[in-house]
Amino acid sequence: MNVLSPMRRVPASLLIGALALGLAACGGDQPNITDYPNTTFEHRTEFNAALDFLWDRLLLWGTIVFVLVEALLIYTIVKFRRREGGPEPKQVHGNTALEITWTVIPAIILVFIAIPTVRTVFQTQATVRADALQVEAIGHQWWWEFRYPQYPGLVTANELYLPVGRTVNFALVTKDVLHSFWIPRLGGKRDLISNRTNYLWFTPDSAFGEAALNGMCAEYCGDSHANMKFRVFVVAKGDFDSWAQHQMAVAVPHRPADSTASAAPATVGRAMTPSGAPVVLASQAGAVPPAPGAAPYTGWNKPLPAFVVPQTPVPAGLAWSAPAGDAERGKQLYSMSSCIGCHAVRGNPMSVGNIGPDLTHLASRHTLAAGLYPNDTKHLALWIKNARAMKPGSIMPTLGLGEYDPIMKAKVTTGGLSDQQIADLVAYMQSLK
Amino acid sequence: MATIAMPGRVEAAAPARPAEPTGVWSWITTVDHKRIGTLYLFTALFFFVVGGTEALVIRLQLMKPNMGIVSADMYNQLFTMHGTTMVFLVIMPLSAAFFNYLIPLQIGARDVAFPRLNAFSYWVYALGGVFITAPIFLSLAPNGGWFGYAPLTTTAYSPTLNIDFWVIGLQILGISSLAAAFNFITTIINMRAPGMHLMRMPIFTWMSFVVQFLVILAFPVITVALVFLLFDRFFGTNFYTIAAGADPLLWQHLFWIFGHPEVYILILPAFGLVSEVLPTYSRKPLFGYPVMVYSGILIGFLGFGVWAHHMFSVGMGPIADSIFSLTTMLIAIPTGVKILNWISTMWGGQIRFTTAMLFGIALVALFTMGGISGIMHSSAAADLQQTDSYFVVAHFHYVLFGGAIFGIFAGVYHYFPKMTGRFLDETLGKWHFWVFFVAMNLTFFPMHFSGLLGMPRRIYTYDAGQGWELFNMMASLGAFLQGAGMLIFFYNMWRSYRQPATAPADPWGAPTLEWTIPSPPPDYNFAKLPQVTSRYPLWDEKGREAMIQHRAGDRIPSAEELHIPMPKSTAKPFVVALFMTCMLASLIFLHVEGMATVGILATIAFALAMVGTLYSWLLSPLE
Repeated sequence: MNVLSPMRRVPASLLIGALALGLAACGGDQPNITDYPNTTFEHRTEFNAALDFLWDRLLLWGTIVFVLVEALLIYTIVKFRRREGGPEPKQVHGNTALEITWTVIPAIILVFIAIPTVRTVFQTQATVRADALQVEAIGHQWWWEFRYPQYPGLVTANELYLPVGRTVNFALVTKDVLHSFWIPRLGGKRDLISNRTNYLWFTPDSAFGEAALNGMCAEYCGDSHANMKFRVFVVAKGDFDSWAQHQMAVAVPHRPADSTASAAPATVGRAMTPSGAPVVLASQAGAVPPAPGAAPYTGWNKPLPAFVVPQTPVPAGLAWSAPAGDAERGKQLYSMSSCIGCHAVRGNPMSVGNIGPDLTHLASRHTLAAGLYPNDTKHLALWIKNARAMKPGSIMPTLGLGEYDPIMKAKVTTGGLSDQQIADLVAYMQSLK
Repeated sequence: MATIAMPGRVEAAAPARPAEPTGVWSWITTVDHKRIGTLYLFTALFFFVVGGTEALVIRLQLMKPNMGIVSADMYNQLFTMHGTTMVFLVIMPLSAAFFNYLIPLQIGARDVAFPRLNAFSYWVYALGGVFITAPIFLSLAPNGGWFGYAPLTTTAYSPTLNIDFWVIGLQILGISSLAAAFNFITTIINMRAPGMHLMRMPIFTWMSFVVQFLVILAFPVITVALVFLLFDRFFGTNFYTIAAGADPLLWQHLFWIFGHPEVYILILPAFGLVSEVLPTYSRKPLFGYPVMVYSGILIGFLGFGVWAHHMFSVGMGPIADSIFSLTTMLIAIPTGVKILNWISTMWGGQIRFTTAMLFGIALVALFTMGGISGIMHSSAAADLQQTDSYFVVAHFHYVLFGGAIFGIFAGVYHYFPKMTGRFLDETLGKWHFWVFFVAMNLTFFPMHFSGLLGMPRRIYTYDAGQGWELFNMMASLGAFLQGAGMLIFFYNMWRSYRQPATAPADPWGAPTLEWTIPSPPPDYNFAKLPQVTSRYPLWDEKGREAMIQHRAGDRIPSAEELHIPMPKSTAKPFVVALFMTCMLASLIFLHVEGMATVGILATIAFALAMVGTLYSWLLSPLE
């Protein structure tokens, strides 16, 4: 009968083996951050170092077992392939000694995995040190709220600042469905479970210095699960304190010199191409940061690495005529509109809503809509105009006059905002540095 | 010991045989386990195309960053239905096709214990499958993920009909599985041929036997979980209502107490098929038959003690995390024994590389891969970086595609001549195999990398520059290559259908009872009930001659000529299944604006109709 050469199996298996070895290479301490900016192999915290130590053991034993078993399999099918006129095989029904052997050997290997596993499980879930920074991470469909109970009034959204070298203890709660808190480069996940509080702690190692990282939701949570991201800024202790003091205070109205709000303060270190897509300009970085002591540290002011700059395309059909906005008019409009039903701006007594993100320091943030768009004039305006087109399932209603609301399945007519009104709101928002 | 010449593949002219009923009505009314098995096979292959198409759209959307092939909501429906379809409408029913077809043949019985219940199981499955699949055309398909975590699935967060279709659909499918499981357990315990004590039972039947117990122990748990959800959604109870203080971990525990044994429900039948295929084409008995039986039982037993390893990130505390880590690692031991016993089965053999054998060998190779990544998950702490990432997606596709689907294709190529009397073309079969083998690894191996490099599962889009583009592109190309493999397979089936029937009783030189009767078997299976004296009767020198029931060229007599009483064809199981499905489906109307009354009346009417036809069924004699 037509027998395909068993040797044909070998290349495929070799390929698998090679890839497994490639995977092993990724397990080193210095992965290429530029290529793999969300790697789980980084030893930036003691938490992730412990997990990665365990992973190395698993990979080592896994690779050994894989190579041995596949090699034995390939050897067997090559050596015992049918030959014309070959003898009838010896009818072996089993071999008790052999079978006991390969019951015992895996059991022994498992001991080498089980002991470090249990040790790491207890070590990573031990009681956190008393002087840890406390952060309350609150999941919402589909954004993150961060509160710092040791810094009264400090509430932010979708941007997490952590001081280098200080243990941080997260209290994880959700306002609605389940979510999962994941910063791949700092450690493993912990789920946010309704009606429960979970905890997770780790210490960003001072040896690694500052970093801008990605965080994300890892538990499917509905329509915009993919759009529930956040940014993590690990900064120097002094900068963190300065940032916290600034965030605790009410926003100081900050008006760009020409008051056209065409250049958002948050775009420090970046420039906009004509199409609105952000471009990272490393060369500008040196020019922009304030001299020490000259201005408070209000947030990450170094060039943003490309992997934390959102690239979501703007949905088709959304346009922005870019009229000049007035922050004062915007503040009045904001304070009388339905915005205040959901949003809080500390310092604006009318605005105490707690359904949507706290906007007190919106202009100090780098992204909008949970890491979905860069925080610039155009995207902020389009977001106010039609949040539901910008982000599937968004609770924030479509507000632009004549815009189609994909959830209500109707066009906004009465009460809708004109582009001029939106420009005023944007100007106000951008004054909330 | 066997000394018969080793055939490559034996062909013979088709024998004269009594005419069989044809036409759609004959299929609706059939109670013949072989015809029901065929129905299962083709229905499941149909849903395989549906679930595969869903996967292709998913892979198209993820091929490059920020693609706009489908909306976020449609993507969520697609991945939910891909999982639900492949688990409940494809792999389980493909296994059921083999349970139906093979168990009575392997144990020397004329049919299953309850032939009409068997038909009922099939029709409930087919109708339930249509019910849960059709809504995708209205953009109303389930969108809560295949494990439907509360509270996302509760009315507060999913007020539309999508989840209603899921809850009701899974309840319907569960009834099918439970009815079938009781049927097969009764069949295996009571209807084995004389002399076939349990340790002479073919290994596929053994694994099937274990699976049926898993079904009857696991499905009631998900039934309870779904009833809670159904009552929450339809009648305002608060099992999962967060606002009323519910603990969403109730759903997770209930689901995974079902869900993990479900994994073994999916894989053990494939293990059974491969344990028939490897000995046949190696010309050697299964190495360590008793250990293979015990390890199957042990896997099934341990499978109920590991469910919380799906929940290492929910914060159960270090003690629970450690215990479930250790129990999960234990499962590696019986599974590893199976792998090594399969290799030992081939060791010293005369291996014929038929398509069935290639698929069987590939199961051993690929399941090893999935098993090793499974051990990586079992380490609770390390799993915190793996769970809910693409690494998990890679793992369970190696287990369920490389394991279950490859095992099932081994079974399809091996048993196709038995079922149809026709061979699948071996050249096309090998093309199918190699395309599948390469495509499978191209699709799923890169997912290990994207997962460990931080890509969460179930995202409908991602930005460029996250380090995931290459792996996603590879996976998407692999997925389309898999589609090409399936086209080769379907072409092969169609081609075979047009060829003459040339398969004799035992074309492969296989050892068990199903190969002693004609291909395809007559409706009564065995003209005379066999007397079993060994595990491999056809390889038994002394017993062989006495076992063979049909010789090439002999005319096959009809049941009447042999005075064998046969169960009557009846449409009643179909009608009861139809009314039962309609009864549950009518609940949907309770959530359609202005249709609530219609829904209640329809539910009651269909319930009465179901009970009425059920009595009519029960009061009519079988034969």
